[in-house]
Amino acid sequence: MKTEGFYAKRIHPIVMMALITIVCILVTATLHLGTLDRVRTNEQFFLWRSILDAAAIPHDGQPASVAALYQEGVTEQNGIFHATGPDGSLRYVKQYTGPGLWGPITVMVGFSEDLTTLSGVSIVSQNETPGLGARIEEAWFTAQFADRQGPFTMVEEGTSEGPNEIDAITGATRTSESFRNIINRAVADSETIARGQ
Amino acid sequence: MAAPGMIKKTFLAPLGKDNPVFAQILGICSTLAVTNKLENTLVMTLGVMFTTALSSWTVSVLRKWIPSRIRMMVETMIIATYVIIVDITLKAFYPEMWKQLGPYVGLIITNCIVMGRIEAFALQNKPGLSLIDGLASGMGYAYVLLVIAFFRELLGTGTLFGFQILGSWWTSWAIMIMPPGGFFMLAIFMWIVREAFLKEGSHE
Repeated sequence: MKTEGFYAKRIHPIVMMALITIVCILVTATLHLGTLDRVRTNEQFFLWRSILDAAAIPHDGQPASVAALYQEGVTEQNGIFHATGPDGSLRYVKQYTGPGLWGPITVMVGFSEDLTTLSGVSIVSQNETPGLGARIEEAWFTAQFADRQGPFTMVEEGTSEGPNEIDAITGATRTSESFRNIINRAVADSETIARGQ
Repeated sequence: MAAPGMIKKTFLAPLGKDNPVFAQILGICSTLAVTNKLENTLVMTLGVMFTTALSSWTVSVLRKWIPSRIRMMVETMIIATYVIIVDITLKAFYPEMWKQLGPYVGLIITNCIVMGRIEAFALQNKPGLSLIDGLASGMGYAYVLLVIAFFRELLGTGTLFGFQILGSWWTSWAIMIMPPGGFFMLAIFMWIVREAFLKEGSHE
């Protein structure tokens, strides 16, 4: 094989790499910028939907109606969302984050007007095991916290009886415990909402 | 253009005796990670098919201009670009799915099948044939994962694509959803396939 010249050995690889890098970055950057509005709309939709869920305001899950309901009934003050329920009562929704098994779990916790009862709980983001810990997103699990007073204890899935008992998720004990801790911290924190008014 | 026999051979090999998962034992990490729900598995395998097919094609088109000493950097760059296209598309148009798959889509970049097919095939073959090889390798990966996911989701939660299949009498095997379930199902699948179809001498 003939020995490579200076161009083939030094210049060509650099030029080639630079060209490919530029093309690749152009493609991905264009796609990113082109979908940016859509991605932001999606993120806002998820946030608004979780606030409505925590405030127990019924919605059909469609982006347009979620946006309408949010703009109609929710205002934000110092990071606390004030929402008016269908019966006219006020609910306070605040975001809490705590450690899960694999990564942080961020939830919206809704309080009734007198701050003693939870109106609802919804997940903003989580990174738990799909099929196990990620089942905290399932409606039956979060619905357990609605209209209940904390602090809560976790019991085996399908065995909750007492007023403060919550069914944990089978196979996801650590996630269930982390979730309980986040909610109990929120319950203990409800007085700061009262002071924040 | 390559002979029709060559095209057929290129297409069929990754589906059978040269299957990336059960014959070459590549891409095992994601095989274990994403196969506990059929829906996630389907989206993930479509992403891998898209990436293997188009990155093989692109490298094959450029193969005469890529200096061999920087070829891996170029390949990684091309693979990463296609994976980011998949990621951004999911993020913009299927955000619920994107949230569920989390980091797995980005990890397609490190899937050995993608770079394996580029190194082993696309660098020596014409673009059309490389496209077929990449697509078939992705399909070979896809059907194995879907079979494993079918059993893991059915036994682990009693559902398929999230729909309840088995009645309330069924006690879900939580272990099927967890990583050990992936190891067991993959091992059983390989055992059956190798015992039944890949008898001695029929694979290299």
